[in-house]
Amino acid sequence: MALVWNPQFHSISSQPSICGWKHGISSNILEHRRELGLSYSRYNWVQQRTARSFLFRALSKSANSDEDKVVKTETEINGWKNSIGKLQETIKSFPPVVFVMKKDVGINFAIGLCVATTILVVAVRVYVARKVSSSRPGSVADLVRRGQLRSDRRGISSPLKYEDPFNNPLVKVGKSNSTVEMCGKVYRLAPVTLTKEQQAIHQKRRSRAYQWKRPTMFLKEGDSIPSDVDPDTVRWIPANHPFATTASEIDEGLAQNNVYQKHGVPFRIQAEHEALQRKLEALQSEQKLNKLVIDPTNAKDFERPFKHLTSHEQAGQGPSNRIGSDSSPEEMQKP
Amino acid sequence: MLSPQLLPKTPNPLSSIYTPNPFKSLNPKTLKPSKPNFKPKPHNPTTIQSVLQWNRKPQLAGDTPRVVVITSGKGGVGKTTTTANVGLSLARLGFSVVAIDADVGLRNLDLLLGLENRVNYTVVEVLNGDCRLDQALVRDKRWSNFELLCISKPRSKLPIGFGGKALTWLVDALKAREEGSPDFILIDCPAGIDAGFITAIAPANEAVLVTTPDITSLRDADRVTGLLECDGIKDIKMIVNRVRTDMIKGEDMMSVLDVQEMLGLALLGVIPEDSEVIRSTNRGYPLVLNKPPTLAGLAFEQAAWRLVEQDSMQAVVVEEEPKKRGFFSFFGG
Ligand SMILES: Nc1ncnc2c1ncn2[C@@H]1O[C@H](COP(=O)(O)OP(=O)(O)OP(=O)(O)O)[C@@H](O)[C@H]1O
Ligand SMILES: [Mg+2]
Repeated sequence: MALVWNPQFHSISSQPSICGWKHGISSNILEHRRELGLSYSRYNWVQQRTARSFLFRALSKSANSDEDKVVKTETEINGWKNSIGKLQETIKSFPPVVFVMKKDVGINFAIGLCVATTILVVAVRVYVARKVSSSRPGSVADLVRRGQLRSDRRGISSPLKYEDPFNNPLVKVGKSNSTVEMCGKVYRLAPVTLTKEQQAIHQKRRSRAYQWKRPTMFLKEGDSIPSDVDPDTVRWIPANHPFATTASEIDEGLAQNNVYQKHGVPFRIQAEHEALQRKLEALQSEQKLNKLVIDPTNAKDFERPFKHLTSHEQAGQGPSNRIGSDSSPEEMQKP
Repeated sequence: MLSPQLLPKTPNPLSSIYTPNPFKSLNPKTLKPSKPNFKPKPHNPTTIQSVLQWNRKPQLAGDTPRVVVITSGKGGVGKTTTTANVGLSLARLGFSVVAIDADVGLRNLDLLLGLENRVNYTVVEVLNGDCRLDQALVRDKRWSNFELLCISKPRSKLPIGFGGKALTWLVDALKAREEGSPDFILIDCPAGIDAGFITAIAPANEAVLVTTPDITSLRDADRVTGLLECDGIKDIKMIVNRVRTDMIKGEDMMSVLDVQEMLGLALLGVIPEDSEVIRSTNRGYPLVLNKPPTLAGLAFEQAAWRLVEQDSMQAVVVEEEPKKRGFFSFFGG
């Protein structure tokens, strides 16, 4: 813009008699100053946000130059120098009174415009940055939403749906079958060269290198091996293993039945329920006999199995009791 | 004023950040992508088959339920990520899936799936008789044919003597379910070759080996493959995760075909390194559900596709084909 405008300015100021003396030139100065202010702020902006290249494109387009970039810059700089020189020339050639009078207005206006533009740019940047960070999926905001992080300052991301998996317009196989297009980019393909024979050779190599039997017997360090067990299939578990226990508190057959159970009350719950029932009956008959008031310690005894259950349920829910299990993320995301 | 300089210096910053050329081959001829007017060598068309399939439902191969253990040996290479993404992909493709988190001490599949608030019961409670199996299965509300089953709560102890047996019973019980057997049972195996590994592989018929293209992960992968083969699991395919083309180009990372040469396993998938993985973990929304899909998501989806058809990769993506960029390509053209 500065480039395009400079010659005009030049031509106008060289023919001062055509336009009215005072008015014409002072407005020219004004315009020139504004232009300088604008381009200066833009220069700042360029430094700050190189990514916003479209504006530069507009700049260079209006500069109307398809030539080499170096040449362009040079001409730009030259043009800038020129314009300053021209400005100084014109200023010098003016009658001093007019100049002083108009100077204040021009400078104030230029400064004002400069400040306003800067504020606007900053505001837009902040706004854009906020918008981007709040709308980007997978940010920390999602951890807040899932109750893993404790902050409600952050936004909540929008739900997401994926359409038909059998119709993905982003993936196309090239006509020649030697290219594939994904996400708008074309990739070349190279054939896999591994043959069945090579695979077999590797298998043979491994079968020589590693001989192993999957352990079926787990013993604590220090235990003795039962006589009918192949020592190769014994796995020694350190006594302080963090999550494994060799002592089976549960009967194996019982556990298997529990896994296979399809309906009804789970075994342990049933057992506890029955125990409770027996206790209750015993207590009732006792009460009938003794006509006693209900003992508060006995009442507590009744509550125990229930408490046991709820504590079980809570144990797996992690730190997120704020989001109950019935308001889980999937439900919230359901359209 | 500086703008004309900045402009041509960054031809397309987005393309290099968001879509790194995901995969690269050993072929030395392809290792010169820096040439400006690079003409791709014509490949022998008979050796290349398309790596991607869409627009049809994959054909389920093999007997159901397909019991697949996802293992790696080394920790932190992406087993859980793979289980979550492949599992949900399978569900989206229309198959019923039960994903079992067999990581006894350090379970996290529920977090990746965003189901952590709904795990009330685990296999330990089922074994104890505190609940029935169907009560311990957590049904995903996004795809109701996907269910999660956790082995244990972080603090509880598993009677290790019958961990493997317990998983076998579970598979049997799932087979005999009234609503029918699930098509896939995916088992997320813990790291190492300890008791957890032994438990996890016990009921499996096939295995997916997850590895990254580095030597430590590869050595563990080879060992684990050997153990699996000793245990009679012969159908082992690998997923190469966290592949970075820029490092392969700089010869700092092995290529996928290098990895294959070292392990001699069929390729189920190649997953590029993708920062979206962490974001999707934050959201509890596996990558494959991202819209628009990311490259890693597409790669997982294709791996799931091949798993269904018991297929393997016949071709790997090498590099981005250089495109002539127009003057106005900046505007998104
Ligand atoms: N393709 C990928 N790109 C970027 N990051 C990844 C990728 N795959 C996995 N990760 C990251 O690697 C880390 C470990 O992943 P994950 O939990 O799936 O590994 P794992 O093998 O299950 O670990 P563990 O052995 O502890 O169970 C996670 O933080 C995940 O975000
Ligand atoms: Mg894991």
